[in-house]
Amino acid sequence: MNKKIQRQIFNLLKKKGIKNFVGVPDSTMKYFIDEGLKKEKILITTKEEEAIGIAAGMSMSNEKSLVFMQNAGFANSLSTITSLINLYEIPMILLIGWRGFLKDDAPEHEKIGEIQPELINIIGLESKIINDKNFKNVCDWAIMKLNKKKVIGLIIKRDFLD
Amino acid sequence: MIRKEAVELIAQEIGNQPIISANGFISRDLYETSEKESNFYMIGSMGLASSIGLGVALKNPGKKIYVFDGDGNILMNLGSLVTIGSLKPKNFIHIIFDNQSHESTGSQPTNSKIIELEKIAEVAKFKTYKISKKKQIEKIFSKIKKENGPICIIVKIEKSSVRSIRVDITPPNIKTRFMKSLK
Repeated sequence: MNKKIQRQIFNLLKKKGIKNFVGVPDSTMKYFIDEGLKKEKILITTKEEEAIGIAAGMSMSNEKSLVFMQNAGFANSLSTITSLINLYEIPMILLIGWRGFLKDDAPEHEKIGEIQPELINIIGLESKIINDKNFKNVCDWAIMKLNKKKVIGLIIKRDFLD
Repeated sequence: MIRKEAVELIAQEIGNQPIISANGFISRDLYETSEKESNFYMIGSMGLASSIGLGVALKNPGKKIYVFDGDGNILMNLGSLVTIGSLKPKNFIHIIFDNQSHESTGSQPTNSKIIELEKIAEVAKFKTYKISKKKQIEKIFSKIKKENGPICIIVKIEKSSVRSIRVDITPPNIKTRFMKSLK
């Protein structure tokens, strides 16, 4: 995803009322995180589950919250999603970087990248892929869902190799 | 001192302020002895009570936020101590009931007997206290009322066959009541 668009997405979500951005960095969304760091709005945690726990506490304090992570961290977080935020109906956005989207991404991302759509589906996480073209509409959709107290996923494809 | 006694005595000291309690017997003891709307009973997501408590503490600086944790629980999320210690929330009080075991799954040992949790908390920049007798509770709680957090209190407890009832409030209800109590 385009660098400028990543920065725009951060600013758009902030403008639309997301107060807290908590998570574990992922290079797929490096510029999104960088924009948040510049604005001193990012809290980096040690693990993705920890980030979801903190965001749950913030969300219960009536502030809209987003957790960012790589899909490896999404896999780490399955039990936290089912037994905390889904069970208690605590709304938040999970912004997930899709490693292994490209077939020749690094080998450690291959399997999780392949099963990610199915995993998201099985766990019942309502989600949309966000990209350079649709980001404004997708951000509106995410905010609308948060207002309805939903947990939702926004997926960024890793569409480059390094 | 067994956990149920310690939970009840400490909850009395805390009064009506918010408590986030860890899954397993800790939440059950708190529910049976000291049920109130500002208790958030975390029935799943083992390890995360301190993280949820941190999120609440950061957003409610005018309230003291108490976490009732266990040794098995915090050992699953030691990184949480690093995050909390770095952010230094003044209103965060972390109480760890330490029986050196995973009691609710059959008393299997944890390693808190070998690696002392109070030393880990100290390194993570918590002001740290240790309680092993009932009579210390009142004294330490009156002392910490005047102190800034993050504070960590390790409460040494003995294993026991006393069992409290399960929390029978639905999780969405636990959340709704808790959120109302924060306002």
